[in-house]
Formats: sequence, C-alpha cells, structure tokens
Amino acid sequence: MKRKVNFMVLFLILFQFTEILGQERVITGTVTDASSGMPLPGVNVIIEGTNEGTVTDLDGEYSLSVEEGETLVFSSIGFGTRRIVVAGQEVINVPLEVDLESLDEVIVTSFGIKQEKKALGYAVEEINAEAITETKQQNVVSALQGQVAGVQVTNSGGAPGQSARILIRGVNSLDPNADNQPLFVIDGVPISNSTIESSGTPRGLSNRAADINPNDIASMSILKGAAATALYGVRAANGAVIITTKSGRAGEVRVNINSSIGFEEVNRFPNFQEVYGQGFSGDYDADSFWPNWGPSMEEINAIDPDVVFHDIWRDALRTGVQYDNSINISGGSENVTFYGSLSNFDHEGVMPFSTWGRTTARLNGTAVMSDKFRFEGNISYTISGGDRVPHDRFMERMVYWAPNHDVLDYINPDGTMKTYGNTNPIYDARFSTFEDEVNRTTGNFKFIYEPWEWIDINYLIGTDYYTDSRTEITPGPLGIEGERPLSSTGFISETRIESRDINSNFYIQLNRDWTEKFTTTLLLGNDIFERNFGLLNSTGEDFVIPGLYDLSYVNQISTYQDLRKKRLVGLYGDLMINYDDMLFLNFTGRNDWTSTLPIGGNSFFYPSVNLSFVFTEAFEAPDYFTFGKFRASWAEVGKDTDPYLIGQTYTAPGIYPLRGQVGFTRFSRYGDPELKPEETTSIEVGTDLRFFENRLGIDFTWYKTNSRDQIIPVPVSDATGFSTFVTNAGEIENRGIELKLTGTPIRTEDFEWTIGFNVARNNNEIISIREGIDEIVLGSQFGYGGSSVTMKLIEGEAYGNLFGTSYERFGADEDALFLNEDLPIVIGPNGFPVINSEQLILGNVTPEWVGGLRNEFGYKDFNLSFLVDFRTGVEQYSQYDNFFSAFGIPEYTLNRNETIVFDGVLADGSPNTQEVFLGQGEGPDGRNYGAGFYRNTYRRVSENFIHDASYVKLRNITLGYNFAEGLLDGLPLRSARISLAANNIILYTPWDGFDPESFSAGAGGNAVGFTGLGYPGVKSYFFTVNLGF
Amino acid sequence: MKNINRIFKLSFFMGLVLSFTSCDDYLDINVDPNNPTEAPISGLLVNTTLETAQNTFRLGDITSNYVQQLASPNEASTSDIMENVSHGNTWFNLYNVMTDLQDLIIKSEELGASHYTGSAQIMTALNLGMTVDAFGSVPYSEAFDFETITPAYDDDEVLYTEVIRLLNDGLFNLQEESTFLMGSDDFIYQGDVEKWIKFGNMLKARYLNHLSKTDAYDPTAILAAVEEGFESNDDDAQIIYFSERFNPWAQVAINNENLLLGGWISEHFIKALDGTTFDVFDPRLPLLVGETDDGEYIGVVNGAGRGDAAAAGARSTLTPEDFYSSPLSPLVIASYAEQKFIEAEAAFYVDNTRAYEAYLEGIRAHMRKVGVPSDEIQEYINSPGVSVGAADLELADIFRQKFIALFLHPEAWVDARRFDYQYEGFTPPVNLNPDLDGELIRRLGYPDSEISRNGRNVPDVSLTDPIFWDE
Repeated sequence: MKRKVNFMVLFLILFQFTEILGQERVITGTVTDASSGMPLPGVNVIIEGTNEGTVTDLDGEYSLSVEEGETLVFSSIGFGTRRIVVAGQEVINVPLEVDLESLDEVIVTSFGIKQEKKALGYAVEEINAEAITETKQQNVVSALQGQVAGVQVTNSGGAPGQSARILIRGVNSLDPNADNQPLFVIDGVPISNSTIESSGTPRGLSNRAADINPNDIASMSILKGAAATALYGVRAANGAVIITTKSGRAGEVRVNINSSIGFEEVNRFPNFQEVYGQGFSGDYDADSFWPNWGPSMEEINAIDPDVVFHDIWRDALRTGVQYDNSINISGGSENVTFYGSLSNFDHEGVMPFSTWGRTTARLNGTAVMSDKFRFEGNISYTISGGDRVPHDRFMERMVYWAPNHDVLDYINPDGTMKTYGNTNPIYDARFSTFEDEVNRTTGNFKFIYEPWEWIDINYLIGTDYYTDSRTEITPGPLGIEGERPLSSTGFISETRIESRDINSNFYIQLNRDWTEKFTTTLLLGNDIFERNFGLLNSTGEDFVIPGLYDLSYVNQISTYQDLRKKRLVGLYGDLMINYDDMLFLNFTGRNDWTSTLPIGGNSFFYPSVNLSFVFTEAFEAPDYFTFGKFRASWAEVGKDTDPYLIGQTYTAPGIYPLRGQVGFTRFSRYGDPELKPEETTSIEVGTDLRFFENRLGIDFTWYKTNSRDQIIPVPVSDATGFSTFVTNAGEIENRGIELKLTGTPIRTEDFEWTIGFNVARNNNEIISIREGIDEIVLGSQFGYGGSSVTMKLIEGEAYGNLFGTSYERFGADEDALFLNEDLPIVIGPNGFPVINSEQLILGNVTPEWVGGLRNEFGYKDFNLSFLVDFRTGVEQYSQYDNFFSAFGIPEYTLNRNETIVFDGVLADGSPNTQEVFLGQGEGPDGRNYGAGFYRNTYRRVSENFIHDASYVKLRNITLGYNFAEGLLDGLPLRSARISLAANNIILYTPWDGFDPESFSAGAGGNAVGFTGLGYPGVKSYFFTVNLGF
Repeated sequence: MKNINRIFKLSFFMGLVLSFTSCDDYLDINVDPNNPTEAPISGLLVNTTLETAQNTFRLGDITSNYVQQLASPNEASTSDIMENVSHGNTWFNLYNVMTDLQDLIIKSEELGASHYTGSAQIMTALNLGMTVDAFGSVPYSEAFDFETITPAYDDDEVLYTEVIRLLNDGLFNLQEESTFLMGSDDFIYQGDVEKWIKFGNMLKARYLNHLSKTDAYDPTAILAAVEEGFESNDDDAQIIYFSERFNPWAQVAINNENLLLGGWISEHFIKALDGTTFDVFDPRLPLLVGETDDGEYIGVVNGAGRGDAAAAGARSTLTPEDFYSSPLSPLVIASYAEQKFIEAEAAFYVDNTRAYEAYLEGIRAHMRKVGVPSDEIQEYINSPGVSVGAADLELADIFRQKFIALFLHPEAWVDARRFDYQYEGFTPPVNLNPDLDGELIRRLGYPDSEISRNGRNVPDVSLTDPIFWDE
C-alpha cells in the first residue's frame, strides 16, 4: 500500500514540472498537527479534481504550483481532510485535526494494545465517541444498541437507570444463572458490569457499566469471538467491550461544556377498553374489587351520573425529565497531558417517584519522564443511585385499580391512603421506597519502559472498588383510625455491598524486523486478578413506633451475610508474524490458574491461531477494488467458575436465631470434587472488502462456537440429598453470520451522506445436557389459572423455548413438543375451547435476526443522523396481557356480551355449531356462564399471551448545527453546537402492549422471555448545547 | 538476538516465579467463609424440629382444600378442584429434612448421643410417613447420600415397615444413655425425653391405624401403642411460634388481610360446625375462624370461588386472632386429641365402651386445647348428636369429630381417604377436575422437578390411584 502511494506521488511530482503554465504560481506552507503544533510529514497535498499534488517533507513543509481559485486538499491517515481555496495567498499553513473516525485502521484490542485492523484474523468493531453520545443513552450498554453486528442489546425497561443486557453471538452456557455478558474493560483494566436485582419485587436496578459517564469515552472496541479475547482468557469468554477514555493533547487548554435537557413519555400503550366499569357479572358496585367486569358506562351513569371512566394509565404515568451537564478540561505540554471531567445527570422517570442520578469525576493523565519511560494514570469517581419504584407491583395495582376512581387522588390529609378498597399504586410508589447509592472508584496506573526501540515493557495495575448501599422501607400502619396500611407490620431492609477488584498486568512486547518484508512481534505477559465481594443484609419487621423507620426499633430482625473471594493468575504469549503487510499470522497461548477449581486441577492452557490475508496486496485488483482481506481463526478458551462451589457444606437459614438457637441444614448444592475447566472452541472466517476508495465496504463473518464440559448446576432429584450438582456436563453450540455494510453514497463539497448497516443471525442448539437429565428449567413466570409460562432447555432444541398451556388441537401428535397452530381447536361439550394443560413449546425468545441501520447527512454546518434497529423472529410471554384479560381491561374484551360460535371441531371431528355467551352470569339463553369466557377459559391458556415481539425502532434521530467559524468571532468560543434529538419516536411491532423491549429479570438474568409487569418503555426528546473554549 | 533471548528468559522466569512458587498458596482460598463443612448436632436438631413442624403446615396447606376445611376464593382453583399441581417445594422440604435427619443420625451415633439419634429416627419416621401418605412410592433406600443422581423408588408398603422400624429404633435409642442431652435446641419438647418416647408411641399408633383398610390392621397393637403414648394435651408434639418468626398459618392470615388472598374457609367446614349439617352449634367455630363484617360465618363452596364477594370482610377466613393462625400459635404435629380418636377407632372393633370414652375425651381434649370454657364443652357433649352412647357409636361419629380436631392438619386427608370422603354434608367440589372422571383425589402427583430430573424412575400414576393402605 505504502509503495503504491509513493509511486503515485513520484508520478505526480514529475507531472508538476512538465505542466508549468503562465497563470500558475508557487504556494508554500507547513502542515502541522493541530493538537500539538508539531510538523506533519507525509501529508498528501493535491489539487482537487486533478492528479497533481505533492507530499510534505520531514519538516511538514511543501510547495506546489497552483492556479488562482483552485482548491488544495490536505489529507493524511489519522487526520481529518481539509480543503482550502487558493485566493491570493502565498503561504498556506494548515493545522490538521486528528480524526478518530479515520483511525479505524488502528484498533484497540486486548489490554488496550493498539493494532492495525488489517492484521487481525478475527472480527472487531469500533464505535467512536460521537456514535455513543449521540444516542443520548446514559448507559453505555444501551448506547451500543443496533450499532454492532452480532451484538444484541436489550433494555430491561424504561426506568431511570434500569439495566440493559448485552449478548455477543448468543448464549454460551446452560447454567440458568450464568452471566453470558461480555467483559467490560476501561483503559486496559476490567471492571464489573454486574446487575444485582432486588431480592423482592423487581425494581429495575442498574448494570454497573451505567456508572460510566458516556461523555468520557473516546472509543469502544467490541471483541466478539474467542480469538479476539484469547489473551483475556476466562473472563472474556463471552467477548469483551474495550473502552478507551479521552485523553489530553499537547497544546492549549481546552474546555468543553455539554448541557442537555430531555423529556420523555410512554412510547406505546396497549389498547384498552373504555366501556365497561367497576363491578362483576355486569353489576355495578363502586367498592368492588373488580375494576372492569361491571356494566357499561351508559348503564353506570344511569345509576350514578357522576361516575366517569378515567384514563388511569395515562394519568398515572407522567412526563419524565432528565438533565445532563458535564464539563471537561484537557490540555498539556510535550511531556505532560491531562484530561479532567465532571458530570451530573438527573433523571425522573415516567412512573411517579422513580428517579436515578449519577455524578462523576475523572482525571486522566500521561507523563513522559524520558524518551524511554512513560507513565499514564486514570482515576474516576462515581456516585449513582435513585429511588427504585417497584414497577411490577405498581403495574399490578394499576391492573386492579378501577378506572371509575381517580388514581391520582391517592392520599388523605392525615397521610393515610385514600382508596375505595384496593391499594392505590401511587401511594405505594411514594411510601414503599427502595433507595440505592453506589460509590465507586476505578483507576489504574500504567508504566511503559522502552529501553530500546525493539522492546517495551509495560506494567498496568488497576482497581474497581465500589460500595452499594440499599435501603428498602415499607411503612406499617400509621396508627390512625380507619387507615388502609400498605403492610400490617412494615419492614426496613438495609443492604451493604462491597466489591473490590484488583488487576495486575505485566507484559513485554518485542518487535523484530527480520527482513524488510518479514517482521514479528512477540508479547509475553502475566495477569493477576483478585475479587473480594461482600454483602450484608439486615431486615427488620414490625415497627415499634409508626413512622420511625430504623433497624433499632423493630420487633423482628434477621441478618444475612455473603462473602466471596476469587483469584486468578494467568501467563500468556502472543506471536504476530507479518509478511509484507499482506499476510499476518498470529498465535496466542494462555495458561490460567484459578482459585475456584480443585488445587491440582486448576491449571489449564488454551491456544489460538488466526490468519489475515490482504489479497489486494498480493494480486492485481481492479481500480475500484480498494481493499480486500480474508481472515480465519481458531481458538480455544478455558473457563473457570464461581468460588466455593466444590464439595458439601452446611448453612444456617436466614430465619435464625430463634430463641437463641441457630439451626443448620445441609446446603442443597453439591460441587463435584473433580470439577475441571469448561472448554469453548470457536472457529471464525470472514472477509473485509472495500471499494471505490472506501466509499463502499462489506464485512462478512461466519462463526461456530461450541462450549463443552460446561460447569453447570445440574438440577438433581431432591431425594439425592441435594437439589443441584455442580459438575461438568453438557454442550451448547452457537453458529451464526454477521454482515456489515458501510457506504458513502454522496460526497460533495457541501453535502455528505454515509450509511452503516449491520445484521446478524445466531442459531443455537443444546447438543447435550447429561445422562439421566432431560431438561433444565431456566425460569418461569406466573399466569392466571395454570397459564404460567416456563423457559426450559431441552436436548436438541434451541435456547429459550417457552412452554405453557394451549388450546387442545384436533389430531395433534401426542408426542409432539411443539404446538401445531394449524390444526383446528377442539371445542368441548360446553361449547368452549378445551384447554390442553400439557406443556408445549409455544415460542422462542431468541431473535432470528438483529441489526441496525445508521444514516448520517452532513450539509455545510448542519448534520442529521438517525439510527434504526430491529429484531425479528422473537416471542415473549406478555404477563400484562394475561393480567389484563383476567380483569377485562383489553379492547378485545369488548365482545364480552356477545353470543358466538367458536371456530373449531368437536371431539369427533365434526364442526362446532353451539352458540355460547362470552359474558358472566346468566346468558341470554338462560344458562349460567359463571365468571365468563375470559376468566374461565381465555386467561388460563398461555398460548393467548405468547406474542411476536419483533420490532423496528427509530432508536435515535438527531439534528445538529455547528456554528460556523465566522459566527463565533469576538466570542471566547472555539466551537459551539446545538442539537435536537428524539429517541424511540417510531416503533413498529406486531406486539399489542407496552414496548416489547422489556423483561422482568433484569440484565443479570437469562429469563428474558418474560415481560412481567415491566417498567414501560419511553420515547424522549432532547435539546443539547455543546460549547468549546 | 542475545538480548532478546535474555529478556525472553527473564520475563518467562518472572512469570514462572509469580505463577508457580506462590501459586498454590496464593490460590488456596476456596474455603467458603459463609458455610461450614460440618454442622453441630445441636444445630441440626434445631432445624429438623422446626422443619418437621413446617412440613406439617406445608402438607396441611395442600390437603385442607381437599378435605374442604379451606376453600379458594378463586373459581376453579387448582387446589379445590383437585387438579394435578406440582408440589415441588413441599417435596423438596420433606427430603431436605430427611436428609438433615440422616446426617443427624450418623453424627449423633458417632458421638454416642443416643437421645439425638432416637429423636432423629422418630422424626424421620414421621416425615417419611407423611411423604408416603401424600405421594405413595418414593425414593428412600438410594436416597440422601448421593450414591446416584437418579435414585430408585421404593414400594410404599415396604416403606411403611421402615416407618415402624424407625419408630422402634428411635424408642430404643431414647431409652439408652446419651453422651449429650437435648435441651433448648429441641423446639418440640425442650429436651424432655419422656415426652419423645410418648410421641414415638403415638406415631406408631397413628401409622398402624392408617392400615384400617388392609388385612394387616391390628387394633390390639394400636391400643398397645396408645398405652405408651400421650396422656394429656401437655404431651402434644407441637412448636410454639416465635415473635421473630410467626406461625405460618398466621402468615397466611396476615397476607390475606393484605389482599394476598388465602386461608378462606370452606362452606362444608362452616356448615359442619354452625348447626346446619348437625343440630348443634360448635363453640370451637369462633375460635378457629373469623367472622364476616356482618358478624356471620359464611364459607366458600370449594371450586366455586367467591363470585362477586369482596376480597375482604364478606367471607370467613383465618385471621391472626384465631387459635391456629395467630402469630405465636402452636403448630401441632401430633396431639393427644388425635390419639384419643385413634384409640376410639381401634377400640371400636374390640371394646365399645373404651371406644366411646376415648371419643368423648378426644372432643373434650380438643375443646380444652382451643380454649372452649368447660361449661360450653359440657353443653356440646350433652347434645344428642354428640352423646350418641357407646352402643350407637359409629365410625362416622369418630371421623366427624376427628375431622374438626384435625383442622388444617394433613392427617385429615389420610382420614378422608380411609373414610372415602363419606363425611356428612360433603359434596364434590364445583368444577371438579374432569380428568378424575367424577372420583376424588387419592394422592398427590409427583412434582415436576422430580419428573424433570429423575423421570425414568418416577412411577406412572394418576391422581385417583390409591396409596397401598387405601386400596
């Protein structure tokens, strides 16, 4: 590549002298790095629209003959291109800005090592700062949504600070409790991204990566396969997200201020009926428990004209608001640079009293001590937390609340709950509080010593330390006559979590150019990790003094403690062989020693090899074929497990002490004393093709990953003396493809349009579990009348099948696992469909295709961008719909007073002709229909509530304006930008209900197919100002 | 090149030093600080006594709807209409406590703590008996010590001989010298070995009496065991609950007050006590269940649900003030009153007078226990439907009274099956599970957890297949 450029330049220079014309004159100048002021050698200077040009010399200087009015184009890899019109100048000095986007040739990989992308034999993707902040997502995980092929991000709901789950190339574990998410690494040091949900009702807690201020991020690399993460070893078996934070540059001190305000509301409501009011069996009763089984409003108003039907859902879910303010200062001299930032974010969600906020401070610095020794350091401090409203319980109470009563009128002057009978959800949200506060410090020091040019020695030590204090209070009775207390006793629960990770990483890099074409790089290192985790919970019940919520004033108290410590030592090597920048061959090997496996069997080695072949370097390619690369890799990764899994123990249940006694029971988990590491083998092939000077790019990957000897808690018969046996069992396979297209369809002086599109598909199969074990239950969620839905793993099937009850089908194969919806429904002698309580597979929660499309338009100083993402072929259990149907809430229950003939056949196969009444009580035919079709039948059939949860979303649209240089004259501003953005304003989905992107388990769990009564998704609007000084 | 080699060796050496020499010590930290590898026998006794009581509750919570003491407020509730419900949690707890008892037996034998061994054997017999009575054939001989992950199922009839063997062994061990003495770690009897011995004999009477439908029924053996059993209400095997931990029935009642509905009373039970089915109002009714807002006792028809009745105040439910469901109520595992009815039933075949006396004493004992004043007891006893006289005493009279004395207790369902649900006023639930073809439930289905984890060993049975003693 380099040789070609040189040749072209030489050619151009020759022509420069042969075409001297009268009007031409010579322009000279110096091209510098805008940030450091240092001269830039090797910059291409070309007259636009011609082949004429030159390159700058070692001092950054150039001279070139041009005509008046022509445009000079200055370009260099890693820097933004600048165009300058010749209008009488003799000297044109040009500072070039570093352009992160054009740096995609260099990518950050394991341990923060920068590598040439073309040398890599595996797929890696990088997201730049702008693409992250533009999403307006405060959680860096959510910011990745739709942007990277093969990366599936799901928000667990719309609560402030609520967790988002990230999955790269599918689930690799049969363990229902496994964390299948990638490792998060900031500036070379792994950090925790765990989500610790509340133990009681779901409250939408945060994944710990939400503690990162997105404005501090310079870039994120996504390492997808085992080959990419081979050096990280066990901890990155599910991939890695490598975050590089911003750093200062030599030159003037720069200050950037960013300020943003956003408003949000629920983006989608289910279709509700607004005809039938409070009561049961069509009888109106203003105190009835039943919110919607009464008569029509017309009939109710005939009884009481003052009764109205409130739109309680839109009344209760308010407009949310968020404020985001941050400032950063950066700068430095030739030897020392710094970057410092402060930020504050505050968010009030759409559900009353739900809040979350985050305050961060960061200081990054580098120091060059001598030409051989450098030092870098980063430290950040975060305080985050909020009031986590119990969204599940809130929404359940909304289901029970009769729309004939104003839900906003929830409190009496004496502070007690105002209600006609049922618990008011807003009162509960206000007084049953759950507040968390995380105090977190992450930081690292890095020493780089380069005694000679061919060697550098690195030492990196970092920590991630946080405390998480949680206080949950449910008040007891206030002691006021006639009150309806939220709880008969009330309770307070204090939880303290303390987690400390330490990472030490020492490595040596050796470079050697054997010949001009043949070079090698060898990396050798040692990695030590330690995690100390402690959780202490104390719960007190039955307050002695109403309103005094303190652990010292309770009648019952219980305490629970959980301490864990884990260590891991690794030794690794990486050899890269480069032949002529055309063929790259890379071998890695790593040996790990873990504290979590039996001593003697706790050492394991795993190798990888990958190859990159840039064939456009090797063969003549047509002009339009700019770059072509083929890549292939094979990798193995070992995996250890959690601490304290081996052997048999006893435990004291949390209820003790009782009367001064502590009881013991055999712990129901037994760990195989012969436990050995898991083994994952992954192969990957792909190609990266670019055409028309990078204006069109195609990147395609195929992969297959097999995880064997999985360490899983195999559920065993309770009669064995244990309920789970932790052992090596089972195999799971993921196969998939990823496709990424990038393009710049239009590029003119004033207008540019770029497109990025990605799509991926992952196929998953459970190859085996274990002899004698037929299935593993991942989780289940309640449904009325036996319609609970269960997610189970079965040999030979895909991960994430949903099992539940269905309508009996005529002629169905008795051994079939799947429901055959094409067969006619069997109608019973009573004229209603027959329920099949046999558990059949009704859907699968793993999407078939996921992807995203990003478009950017730039016109002069304006830019417009939008991001669409989608998923298809995914089913979920809508617990909302199950509850709604049981309480007469959905629009489809408007047919409740109709008499119909169900479509289906009788047990003998003849068509059903019996007319039946759908409503409650006595029908027009004089027959007693009891609680009616929806309660007697419909709500008890899981099939009715498992829906297609595919969607296409306009994730973000942003319109920005950068104030032109001239407009800022006389102001102390270097730059100014305003932008308007909207998130999730368009959602297309077949799903009837709140935003289908929601699940109740939180990002820490794998039971993603259950919506629960989740926090509804939102759409938001933002106004943002950025100022640079 | 030399330099490279040197550095290479150096770095590798450093790595080796870091990783090998100190590695084993550095990594030898995998000892669980939260959970010990050994448990004291005292701690095992604490938990097994508590959990044995809890298991009585767990099973009673299932069976009380079958015998129509309780009823669900929801129409066609799976419990009321006798559907096949997976009782995985109850199964787990039965095995969990038997596992702990197994450990307790082994450890106490090693220590020579024969009183601990004896009480553990008696509790094992009880938990095994309850398990067989609910499920029939279950794993036992290959259970508890993880010799296989798919333990085989033992025949229910064989397991009953094991129950009796365990009781005999337990009684033997309780009479031996013990190196350690039970005390406040025994939540049932606070270390009173004499009472444990009576308890063991009472249980022997109970399980022998379960065989009433079989050829093995031996009234004399039962009466012999009764002689060595409980002598008064003071001997009752029960746990008084704790201010830190409420009685589980109280929790049901408190949850119901908080609209987590449960503990609603069956119409059948109310009618059996309020003078509808029989001519006399039973003074125990106000002590056992709550009244409506209007001061009445109204039950729910099993399987019909509460219809349009309000969630609170419109029907009788357990309340936190009632005898069995207040926070500090005792949870009764086996009572003197129950033993009296066992005696009455066994004596019924050999000695009418003894049967009648035991029948009356059973009524009185239970009334005294729940706090009926003595004059009301006498008044009730005197009513013609109760004082039937020794000559006219029928098994139905004994079952009728035992049904009340076993309120919320799983033994009530054993009796119901032995008595073929022939209680006066008892009607099958509305919406009865059609799979039963009009019959009533005879056993619990094996839980999903067992089918999923040990499927190949699980016997293929239906809910109407009887336990061996019910055939």
